[in-house]
Amino acid sequence: MRGFGVLSCAALALLLCGCYGVLPSQGGGQTDFRQPRLVRPADVAVPAGYRVEAVAAGLTYPTSVAFDEAGRAHVAEAGYSYGEDWTTPRLLRVEPDGRLTPIAAGGRNGPWTGVAFHRGAFYVAEGGELEGGRILRILPGGGMQPIVEGLPSRGDHHTNGPAIGPDGWLYFGQGTATNSGIVGRDNADMGWLERFPDVSDTPCRDVTLTGANFTLADPIGGRDTVTTGAFLPFGIPATPGQVVRGRVPCSGAVMRMRPEGGRPELVAWGFRNPFGLAFAPDGRLYVTDNSYDERGSRPVFGTGDLLWAVTPGAWHGWPDYHGQDPLDQRRFAPVGGPVPPRLLAQPPDLPPRPAALFGVHASANGLDFSRNTAFGHVGEAFVAEFGDMAAQTGKLLAPVGFKVVRVDPATGVIEDFAVNRGAENGPASLVGGGGLERPIAVRFDPAGTALYIVDFGVMTMGPHGPEPRPGTGVLWRILRAGASP
Amino acid sequence: MMRLLAGGAAVLLLATLAACGSARRGEPLVGPMPMAEPRLANGQIAFMANCHQCHPKGEAGLGPAINNKPLPGFLMKLQVREGFGAMPAFSPAEISESELDDIVVYLQALRHGG
Repeated sequence: MRGFGVLSCAALALLLCGCYGVLPSQGGGQTDFRQPRLVRPADVAVPAGYRVEAVAAGLTYPTSVAFDEAGRAHVAEAGYSYGEDWTTPRLLRVEPDGRLTPIAAGGRNGPWTGVAFHRGAFYVAEGGELEGGRILRILPGGGMQPIVEGLPSRGDHHTNGPAIGPDGWLYFGQGTATNSGIVGRDNADMGWLERFPDVSDTPCRDVTLTGANFTLADPIGGRDTVTTGAFLPFGIPATPGQVVRGRVPCSGAVMRMRPEGGRPELVAWGFRNPFGLAFAPDGRLYVTDNSYDERGSRPVFGTGDLLWAVTPGAWHGWPDYHGQDPLDQRRFAPVGGPVPPRLLAQPPDLPPRPAALFGVHASANGLDFSRNTAFGHVGEAFVAEFGDMAAQTGKLLAPVGFKVVRVDPATGVIEDFAVNRGAENGPASLVGGGGLERPIAVRFDPAGTALYIVDFGVMTMGPHGPEPRPGTGVLWRILRAGASP
Repeated sequence: MMRLLAGGAAVLLLATLAACGSARRGEPLVGPMPMAEPRLANGQIAFMANCHQCHPKGEAGLGPAINNKPLPGFLMKLQVREGFGAMPAFSPAEISESELDDIVVYLQALRHGG
């Protein structure tokens, strides 16, 4: 009987590989959820010698944590979630007993995607879905002012970061408006195309187009069909050899500026959504880059999120490459769909080699590096994997992400660090228990002995897209088993 | 007759699933994998560069789980070289013969580590 089972298991393996096209999607958000969220650290598995604690709960769309000069944790709540839910962006101080003290509140221009503390002030990346992206300086007393605004954030992805470099400059990421360079139906589904029909991606340098165009039924304007080219607004076709002028600030870029204010400078470009930014102990800047989805007018199949050691000045591949692989190959075509055509007549560079490749649709987001041997894994990057948004971003056979991983940037080896217990991977809302939902950021405390995990909370994926649940966010902490917080 | 067929299919599925077992092999659940053998370490690096995206740590994701399926090594290599269904083929220019051998060593170690 056992031998029969073994043989049939082997047959099943082959069968599954050939049946991707007919199997249903089983992503981590494809489940039901009923309040309240259970929070139970024992349901989170970490390696031997570490333990997990819940620090605070009841957060609404938290995205980041930073520590002030007294070592007190401050959490940023986004004020916006995919699924088009607007709440109030806030900066909150976490008290020792887990109570949350509001420090500052924003307007209707979230999401606040990240926070850093530098020389007496907080710096927040205001994502800018409605009014364009900003970097805000927030004083501990609550005073707030933008140090830059008008960043190109009115699309799918937003202003991210920030991170203070060893050179004292403030670095931030700017995600692209579109999935893969073409404005289309998926952007109407995201909600912004009807609001801003003239929005498109802005290249950082001049680019010459192949003239590839994409035609679809008009989802917003009542025209029969609409034809759109790369880096152009909806309904504007490209011509072969057309040059789209680059400018800064731009889409899909890492930029930097002085914290006191001034014009942003380009650091590197050709990213898709550089969400997490962190400096390694050797001073090199690393970013996590959410890769292409299988959606829209130019869907791309099978590209994992990337960890980049940023090469200053270089183009990192978007919208025509994944790592060093050009997209116009069969392997990047959706099952039964077309090979993504090239959009740029000449690639600006050969992209660098990425430091690591995460699971497809893992949504590798906030990261930080271990610096203290007391915690361990010095020099490794700890990365929050928010988890898939299947089936909207593409079909999966099983949930991907919903965990914290550690990455050796020298080898690209990725190991699980904090996962939910059980026979299957996934968020607690799917697999049961009171463990992780959607880790979105990690940060070591100033001593480097505790890893804080910002858990966005429950976001299921329904028939109309994301279904975020306010008030389900949690701040976790991982320490060595014998350490005190 | 239909009941007989349905019952047979159910038994087949249960036997299959029981033989496959959980695919989870992460350190928090099963402990660290000893990496003293150089081929294991090399195979892990090659796996991460080429396979992890679709089969995260050998678990299911975009692709099916592969570290809990008793496929013989030669079949694994055949599938990598030829592709199958949605899985692309990987040429020797992308994954060398020695890298492929080491990936098989790594996958076999993952399978036994569960």
